[in-house]
Amino acid sequence: MPIHSLAPALDQHFHALADPTRRAIVARLCRGPASVSEIRAPFTMAMPTLLQHIRVLEHSGLITSQKTGRVRTCAMRKAAFDTSAAWLAQQRAVWEARLDRLDAYVIDLHAKEKAHARRQRKT
Amino acid sequence: MPDANAKPESRDLTLSRIVPVPRETVWKAWTQPVHLMKWFCPVPWKTVECDIDLRPGGQFRTLMRGPNGEEQGGNGCYLEVDAPGRLVWTSALAPGYRPFIDPFLMFTAILTFEGVPGGTRYSVRALHKDAADAQKHAEMGFEQGWGAALDQLVALADDIGA
Repeated sequence: MPIHSLAPALDQHFHALADPTRRAIVARLCRGPASVSEIRAPFTMAMPTLLQHIRVLEHSGLITSQKTGRVRTCAMRKAAFDTSAAWLAQQRAVWEARLDRLDAYVIDLHAKEKAHARRQRKT
Repeated sequence: MPDANAKPESRDLTLSRIVPVPRETVWKAWTQPVHLMKWFCPVPWKTVECDIDLRPGGQFRTLMRGPNGEEQGGNGCYLEVDAPGRLVWTSALAPGYRPFIDPFLMFTAILTFEGVPGGTRYSVRALHKDAADAQKHAEMGFEQGWGAALDQLVALADDIGA
């Protein structure tokens, strides 16, 4: 996916995170899903204000919420990040970097061994 | 038997390269601690310990240390040792083929080294259990990854706001 097609989503994410209350909500949800009243516990703000923040986060795609009976539960939206593909890409990067180092090392090692062999032949 | 050059499945990784040295040199770099420790992990991390018992069932252990003293190790076991052409090890079995409970990252690596004009073609294939496992693993790291990403976003947002 080209970077620029991610830009609108990123703008939304940054806007959503540009507020300390919303960052605190995200930090809470990183530990696991929580009901609105659980999220509200550390704050002193009115419920409508909190719900407004939750709506902004939800609109940005960072979180989802689901209402069961009278309880609304919020969670980080893992699907927004293809974690499986990201994980594989990360593993590939680890291996690529490792093989870069291996290549540099064996080329150097080979050069040293050749030089050593030449010295041995001379003596 | 899986081959390093076989068609990769989506859950696996396959990398192939040609390096202008004899395959004995590449083999040595993979199988002797004195050499492996010099390239195996990225700076500023260091491979500080390495044990290699080069036979099927033998130990392949590494310990890496980060700049703040954090450590990450691997203690796997070789499955195939066929110098200088093929080396297979897994993190899913401890030395002596004893099954491991929950290693940090479960994978089997298949390395093949093939002499070609002017050097060695080598391939690495990393087998993962399945996509769900990769997913599970990703989610295990999810909170941590989110924590780091969030810290960066917060720093950036604070910058923008300032």
